[in-house]
Amino acid sequence: MLQKLKKILQKADVDYADIRYEIKKNTFITLDGKELSNIGSTITDGYVVRILKNGGFTSVAFTKETDAEKALKTAEENAVLIGNTIEKPVKLAHVPIIKDTFIPELKDDPRDISIEEKLELLCHYNDIPLSHEKVAMTNMRYFEVTREKYFLSSEGTEIHEDLITTGIGGGITSKEGNLVQNVRIGAGGSDGFYTLRDLESKFEERTAIVVDLLKAEPVKAGSYTCILNQGLAGVFAHEAFGHFSEADIVESLPAMREKMKIGNELGSDVLSITDNATLPNQLGFYKYDDEGVAVRKVNLLTNGVLTSRLHSRRTAEEFGEPISGHCVAEDYRYAPIIRMGTIFIEPKEKTLEQLMAELGDGLYILDPKGGQTSGENFTFGAQYGFLVKNGKKDKMIRDINMSGNLYKTLKDITAVGNDLKLGKTGGCGKGQTNIRSCHGAPHILVKNVVIGGV
Amino acid sequence: MEKLLDMAKKVCDQAEIYYNEPNSSEVIFQKGELHDIESQFQSGMALRIIKDGKLGFSYTKNLINRDEFLQNALDSLKGGVKAEYSFPLTKDLPELNTYNPHIEEVTSEPMVENCQEIADEVLRKTDAELEVVGYKEVNTVRILNSKGTDVQTKIGTNGFWMSMVYPGGGAGLERVFDKKIPFSLSKKVLNKLIDLYNKSSKELSIKSGKMKVLFMPGSMYTLLWRLSSGTNAKSIFEDTSPIKNDIGKKIVSELITFYDDPLDDAATGARSFDDEGIATTRMNIIEKGVLRSFFYDLNYAQKLGVQSTGNGFRSSMWGGDPITITPSPHLSHPRIEIGDKYFEELVAMMDTGIILDGVMGAHSGNIPNGDYSVGVSPGLYVENGEIIGRVKDVMVAGNVYDTLKKVIAIENKLHSCWGGRMPALLCDSISVSSK
Repeated sequence: MLQKLKKILQKADVDYADIRYEIKKNTFITLDGKELSNIGSTITDGYVVRILKNGGFTSVAFTKETDAEKALKTAEENAVLIGNTIEKPVKLAHVPIIKDTFIPELKDDPRDISIEEKLELLCHYNDIPLSHEKVAMTNMRYFEVTREKYFLSSEGTEIHEDLITTGIGGGITSKEGNLVQNVRIGAGGSDGFYTLRDLESKFEERTAIVVDLLKAEPVKAGSYTCILNQGLAGVFAHEAFGHFSEADIVESLPAMREKMKIGNELGSDVLSITDNATLPNQLGFYKYDDEGVAVRKVNLLTNGVLTSRLHSRRTAEEFGEPISGHCVAEDYRYAPIIRMGTIFIEPKEKTLEQLMAELGDGLYILDPKGGQTSGENFTFGAQYGFLVKNGKKDKMIRDINMSGNLYKTLKDITAVGNDLKLGKTGGCGKGQTNIRSCHGAPHILVKNVVIGGV
Repeated sequence: MEKLLDMAKKVCDQAEIYYNEPNSSEVIFQKGELHDIESQFQSGMALRIIKDGKLGFSYTKNLINRDEFLQNALDSLKGGVKAEYSFPLTKDLPELNTYNPHIEEVTSEPMVENCQEIADEVLRKTDAELEVVGYKEVNTVRILNSKGTDVQTKIGTNGFWMSMVYPGGGAGLERVFDKKIPFSLSKKVLNKLIDLYNKSSKELSIKSGKMKVLFMPGSMYTLLWRLSSGTNAKSIFEDTSPIKNDIGKKIVSELITFYDDPLDDAATGARSFDDEGIATTRMNIIEKGVLRSFFYDLNYAQKLGVQSTGNGFRSSMWGGDPITITPSPHLSHPRIEIGDKYFEELVAMMDTGIILDGVMGAHSGNIPNGDYSVGVSPGLYVENGEIIGRVKDVMVAGNVYDTLKKVIAIENKLHSCWGGRMPALLCDSISVSSK
């Protein structure tokens, strides 16, 4: 395959070029309630070419090999057009030349398990919530995505890496009268099918929550001090802070870039945030990004001070900062962009009980229900929560959506727990989807959280 | 493709091939300067087969081996996905004007020039952190099935997306403009937007409470997702819609007529057939506040004992590659009927309130129940009928069915926005919370 890619690139008269060919295999099963609505396995493939010429950097994605010449020509023309238009030519940071094949070791390889067995397991889990009379509906899916990637650059880098992601995820809906409630469930990872076994108790626990939610009270809108559980705090690390560690986001926002200068004190001194996609056996694990750069651990925020950020080769050069290996594409349809790998809040000493005592009166809110950022503002939902009175869990609450400002909230995190947990399913949409986006945290205590209520 | 269909017919009861060929390019301007150009030459094919009442499915980007492609679909029959419907025989579709050959003249160079003009004008008059994207898309869709249907369409779009971010704040005014023909953005439209930006640049704090909220087209998908969830045949079948038993009942304000109009070829992307080859129609979902119809694809229509409404599309909440997604009920071209007020008149009617120009977190919260709780992104603040600034760290929350009972006026124009074409909607007494 790499030989074939070499042949395609040879035709390009450019300063730099790379080409990525990917074969993507999908296995999918979807259950809507008892009914199987989708099942199958399928294979797709395609190419992405990137070209640097005359200071212009551009990409073309194509699927037919016969379109290769047209694609290269288009990319060259566009690169020259960019080069002639912009004042400061694009340069790419220097990186080591790599020749490597990396096939991850899997425990319980999902490709060796029949689709019948996968279906049986999914049905087995799905029956757990469905057997409860208050559960109106479930939507469950099994997914298995294999990216077989071949990367070649005109500098001589040649990499073949496979990424195999498996997961079970979905929603459970309960209903009483006209009131509908739902919770999410998810499991999976990057290192084998074993992550999907023995999930019965997890399904039982989520079922109990969605049924209890029918009796929960809507939270009153207002400003609260809150404890966020690991899943929710992980989303905070990702949504509120993580996206601004991505150089391509701050690059286009000059005022934000000024605030996000390395060395600036952004958060309280209990807060440290790290991205480490090299951690093995995590959803976010990979070895090389889609520019052929080895990913490394990055200490983004250290005791409240901004210490580093995530880069592509282009932005590393533009910012004059070290490369980090975070330029990743969804698949063969896209040129890579800067993505988080495994981002998490570093654990400190406090137990959940100590945090509850410190909270006194407020909210304990749990598990993410989607989040979004827009500039320095963020919004995300919690699946459920509890009023906390005098350090003790009280009534269950629902309809929790919080919003806040990044800089204020980073300073408002006043205590961090000792119980770090990394997520088993991720997913981040930034133009493209990244199913391996992994985040985590210990429990954290945050002041002044705005809750929208309903 | 015909050969593949013949092969499939021999081994199955029914077969359908969906083919698409999306070609696109976009030029991206950041901070007033050309930043990137991205192009795509894609094609793909999806096969659905039905045998003994069971569905088989496969898709590919490159039809290299017909036998293998068909075999994948045959293998997936074993899963036992029920399919008790029949693919349609569709003929004599209305001719829609969706492709103008002049669209091919939109190459990178004129797009760069157009975006540069926009950027220069905006940056001369504002302090916005500007992003402008110019794009061109030409998409061919063809559907063949074993009943003899062979329908095809070619759709061309030229458009601009722009975002004017308030410095440091992150939130900004976002707009999309699109046409079937090459165009450049009129100075008048652009200057109106610049004016709106400049009027709202001052940051203000407000107290929580109930107030008027003007939902702009850019925030309407918050309501649209929830309405679509409640009127989707899948929710009806699964019994998760709170308005399942409300056909013929008044559920929202009589000012609201909510309809699907795939045949409107004055706008971009009109479709005379859905992704299952069924003829589409203009259909009222809610007519003057009264719930009239749900929308169906073949599968859920059969399950519920009715006819498909031509709403089987290969789409999901987040879009996605159509060949990889099986058809499900989807409102392809939703609109809300326009009212009689200019935007300026709506603002003047507000006394005190928030113009919800965009939102954050529309996908969080209890969508089936119709609940929403979104961050303003941005929220412009109106006092005595005048825009005096914008608010931060503010959330707007409610339930779609309750909110649409509180509509007091509707803008007299449809705008392209995410999910459809919508006017601005002025609602009274909506919950707004702030620090």
